[in-house]
Amino acid sequence: MIDAIQALTVVAILASALISGSLLAPYVVRVLTGAPTRLDRLLDPVEKRVYRLIGADPAVTMGWKQYFFAALLLNVAQMAIAFAILVGQGVLPLNPQGFPGLSWDLALNTVVSFATNTNLQHYAGEATLSYFSQMTAIQFLQFTSAATGICVMAAMVRGFKPGSVHMGNFYVDFVRVLTRIVLPLCVLAALVLVALGVPQTIGGYVTVKTVEGATQTLLVGPVASLVAIMQIGTNGGGYFGANSAYPFQNPNPATDVLQIYLMLLIPTTLIFVFGEMIGKKKETRPILIGSYTLLAVDLVMAFLGSIPVVGPGIETRFGGFFSTFWTVITTAVTTGSVNASLAGINPLGILSAFMGMLIQATPGGKGVGVMYMIMYVVITVFVVGLMTGRTPEYLGAKINARDVKLVMIAFLVHPIAILVPTIAAYATKAVDAIPGFSSLPTSVGFTQVLYEFTSSAANNGSDFFGAAANTPFFNLATAAVIFVGRYVPIAILLALAGSMIGRKRVAQQSLRTDGVAFSVVLIGSILLLVVLTFLPFLMLGPLLTYFQGMVNFFG
Amino acid sequence: MARRVPGLDRVLGRARLPRRPSALTTKTLADSILRLSPVSLLANPVMLIVELTFFVVAAMAAYPYAFVPFASPGERGFYAEVAAILLVTVWFSTLSDSLAEQQAKNTASSLKQLETEVPAKKVITEGWERQIVRTESTKLQKGDLILLEKGDVVPMDAEVLEGIAMVDESLVTGESVAVRKAPGDSLIGGSKVASDTMTARVAVNPGESYLDQMVRLVESSKRPKTPNEVAITMVLFGLSAVFTIIIASILGLSVTLGLSVDLSVLIALYVCLLPTTIGALLPAIGLSGISRLYERKVVAKSGRAIETAGDTDAILLDKTGTITVGNRQAVEMIPLGGKTEREVGEAAFLSSWFDDTPEGRSVIRLGYEKGYVPRELNALTMSEVYDFSAQTRTSGVKLHFGASFVLPKGSVQRVRRKFYLEDASEQGMHLSGEETEIVKGAPDSFLKSGFKLPQGFKELVDKVASEGDTPMAVARDHEVIGLVRLKDVLKPGTREKIEAVRSMGIRPVMITGDQPLTAKSIASEVGIDEFVAQVRPEDKYSIVLKEQSQNHIVAMIGDGTNDAPALAAADVGLSMNSGTEAAKEAANMVDLESNPAKIIDVVLLGKQLLMTRGAVTAFSISNDVAKYFAILPVMFATAFPALRSLNILGLDLQTAVLSALIFNAVIIPMLIPLAMRGVTFKPSSTMSLFLRNVLIYGVGGVIVPFVGIKLIDLLLGVL
Repeated sequence: MIDAIQALTVVAILASALISGSLLAPYVVRVLTGAPTRLDRLLDPVEKRVYRLIGADPAVTMGWKQYFFAALLLNVAQMAIAFAILVGQGVLPLNPQGFPGLSWDLALNTVVSFATNTNLQHYAGEATLSYFSQMTAIQFLQFTSAATGICVMAAMVRGFKPGSVHMGNFYVDFVRVLTRIVLPLCVLAALVLVALGVPQTIGGYVTVKTVEGATQTLLVGPVASLVAIMQIGTNGGGYFGANSAYPFQNPNPATDVLQIYLMLLIPTTLIFVFGEMIGKKKETRPILIGSYTLLAVDLVMAFLGSIPVVGPGIETRFGGFFSTFWTVITTAVTTGSVNASLAGINPLGILSAFMGMLIQATPGGKGVGVMYMIMYVVITVFVVGLMTGRTPEYLGAKINARDVKLVMIAFLVHPIAILVPTIAAYATKAVDAIPGFSSLPTSVGFTQVLYEFTSSAANNGSDFFGAAANTPFFNLATAAVIFVGRYVPIAILLALAGSMIGRKRVAQQSLRTDGVAFSVVLIGSILLLVVLTFLPFLMLGPLLTYFQGMVNFFG
Repeated sequence: MARRVPGLDRVLGRARLPRRPSALTTKTLADSILRLSPVSLLANPVMLIVELTFFVVAAMAAYPYAFVPFASPGERGFYAEVAAILLVTVWFSTLSDSLAEQQAKNTASSLKQLETEVPAKKVITEGWERQIVRTESTKLQKGDLILLEKGDVVPMDAEVLEGIAMVDESLVTGESVAVRKAPGDSLIGGSKVASDTMTARVAVNPGESYLDQMVRLVESSKRPKTPNEVAITMVLFGLSAVFTIIIASILGLSVTLGLSVDLSVLIALYVCLLPTTIGALLPAIGLSGISRLYERKVVAKSGRAIETAGDTDAILLDKTGTITVGNRQAVEMIPLGGKTEREVGEAAFLSSWFDDTPEGRSVIRLGYEKGYVPRELNALTMSEVYDFSAQTRTSGVKLHFGASFVLPKGSVQRVRRKFYLEDASEQGMHLSGEETEIVKGAPDSFLKSGFKLPQGFKELVDKVASEGDTPMAVARDHEVIGLVRLKDVLKPGTREKIEAVRSMGIRPVMITGDQPLTAKSIASEVGIDEFVAQVRPEDKYSIVLKEQSQNHIVAMIGDGTNDAPALAAADVGLSMNSGTEAAKEAANMVDLESNPAKIIDVVLLGKQLLMTRGAVTAFSISNDVAKYFAILPVMFATAFPALRSLNILGLDLQTAVLSALIFNAVIIPMLIPLAMRGVTFKPSSTMSLFLRNVLIYGVGGVIVPFVGIKLIDLLLGVL
């Protein structure tokens, strides 16, 4: 349990994310709708050159297929570039530590993971990646994947918007989001982080004499800029293997609170963006109430468990409270950064983390969180809306059989992508390649494997294994799960949105979706769907651990 | 304060046809067992899966050794029990299909009885000879001529060629007063000729009538799924796929993690999770929706039309026939100047005989009701008709008595047996004897044209008008003898129905040919805000298009050929059975009773159908929570005793499985009445309907099975 001050801290952070999100949303909408912004004079000439360079006509509007394949193609091209950098980093500059190139399977896993905003890391950055790799391959993908998420959401919203005729132009969206939203925010955040003590240098690791007279190597680098984009972009891939549990990535409680806030910022903003872009601000309500209520449920559940002040895996600078809080938030927005070892979190906290990753919309990763929420709204509207005696509509559009089919397929992706490889990992004995795995109790081991694939499918990126899972099976299996978990639902949901274009909208929607009543039903239906799908496995994992009386996952 | 709205049953009134309780006959039973064949279950994949699992568990019971390590040979009795329940589950599903189909056939055949074989008189013309052949209705073909005399039953739908007669359609339409039928009018098979003689041409072949089409719709097991049913099926497919993945994964983990789960338990969990309840009842719900329309004598051309009716959010209501009984009804004959009521009544009757307006017909009806049928009726064959003219604002008739009259040859050409004086004179016929002239019309038109006005005429006219009614003066031989009081009679129950649809967020729009002021007063009297006045029939089409361009889903009614384009354009077009063939073709529903107010019932029934489907779906899905909590913890507890804490129902493994399975099976027959009757609801705002149904079927669906499974468990313990 937590005390009053801790509870207030939680409320204060969530409230500031909500307030700044609602303030930032109109600006984001201006960027996404092509309205003039203050940065135009500076950026317009640059952008024109970029469009000419890549041969994109900014005036062209796209259907869902064009939009999706433009995004996919760009992402795959970026993966290819990053893959080359990682494999060849041994011969590339800015490598003062002289790290060799990555193995092909680890490089593949890493680029897929980073290009999809997952940032599952089967390596420890400080011992594997050169400055050049960190700043180009890793950070570059963190920017582009964040921008991609916002773009596809914008496209989906355009499809759902009554009266819209196209889904926008991916290249225009991508460039504008990158230059006008992600970059400026990151510059600001990085400066604040530097001010708070996070290092930003390319001067090489520093060796110092400690007060006790011993020598120590300080692993510094261009950390602040990476932390900014990893949190703002809900990427989660840190500079160091220990992520934000490492002092140079997260030196003090102030940076800890700031990073939690930064994680929530864009996903929360995008909820407000949804209503503004649709042209019906009230339609933000079910998504906002739904995601934040479910987040609150997760937090309460996590805080009900035992919260150690100190303990194995818990960073002493923050204690159990901040570690648990961070864990719930990082999974709720599918960031995947950590400030403590997941193994040190209590089973109910891990259960909350699972819920965040299984629902993917509390409020979820940037862009995709809102997309998943729309998916839940559509299926809920369909099933319960029938009970009002009319074929249900959402935003005035009748939900037809094809919509339901697409939503069901999108919903199916997750259980398949999680459960099949989980069983395969056991069946092929791939789990035994992880050091110490065989000595773990079944419940703990199963939780860790299930978490690995849940985190991959949800494009979260946090995991129990870290560099220990750098085996061909886990590298390739998680890469595949990440890829499917990212692009298949996006493709299906864009197809759904695409079919909304030009669809007749009824003048008067039978069931109002912008009220508290519907929001409550939406929450119930999300819980029902997710619990029905995953309860057996949660029961064998974190729930079993809890009922076996364990306080953490060290076995 | 919101006005009180009565419940659905009150709004709809009692069904016209006796609802036959679908008794469990041997035929239904046999049918339901025949449907157990996997081939006929192909249309219902969820149930097919359940049947396949039955075969697996039955095999486990027969030879458990083949299933080790997923089965233990010592549990054969248990496997047999599980297999039996699985089979019963499938049977409950096929039973609900059979029952619903039986019910639909019963109602359809009640309607069919209206059209049973009746004797007919076929007219055969050879040259100039006419021959009457006695035959049966079933032997008639489209285009045959039939003779209809007083007391005959109209054998088939037909069109009048010659003669004018009163026809009693009460058996078919429920309208108790005889209707006047003239050449060109359609006759409904099953109605009865009340007076006079006429010749008609059969309009359909046997087996082509709407009743036949409708019965075929029910009997066809390949009834096409409606868009909404397809969408629900998608949800069921999706959920089934999710549960298949889950069960397969548990089976996989059972091996890799050593959970030692029994296959029969896993199958039981699988079947419990599958949306069997809605899967079993979905076809029955759709069929019952059609049956409920039949009970009200409305024939839908497709199930899709019923669903669209539920989606309607704008109803175009013809004032005449929907809101008011007709275009003003004659309700009273008021004599003046010392005449008797009978004299006024008979004069009004004669002057209205050739008047096809609803007012004219209502005068005839009132005359019949009061027994003022004049002796001079046969003299109408030799009469001079004054059609209504806007100049005189009167119409009337001049009768000639004692004239002999011969039908000219080639009379088939004539469509109306109506002779104008000029025609008769031209043909050189001599007209002799007495004459009498009767004129009726607006009272002020009699002021100037040299009519003799009785005392108190003006006062009476003002009195009737001030009471909100329309006075019509009747004059015989240039002397005004009395007034007929015409009243716009509101249909009983219309107010409530309009209130009901309004409360559900549907816009009623009144359409009338009246002046705007009159339209407004009638509209406000029944609680309608929107009306379109001075509408000609051909304007309806553009009104429908206008509503649709504002993204409304429009329901409308019509009966004339003029209405056909609008009926075809409207999302829901309800045609009157008394209407023209063109209108019936264009509409997607036909009301056999020709009651335009039915459009509201149709919309409410459509809503009820969708609501029932949604309710059973939500109930079925929410049921899974309890079934999970019944089976999962005890299933895993074999390997992990710590999970016993989640066994909140306190069940043992085998009784947990049996209780959950039994609940899963018996909930189907328990919900059959709901599926057949439809969810009862009180027309009210969408939001309150939504909340109410979510609470009952969604939240209730989570709670009920916890109680049910525990009760069954206790019961099993006693046994």
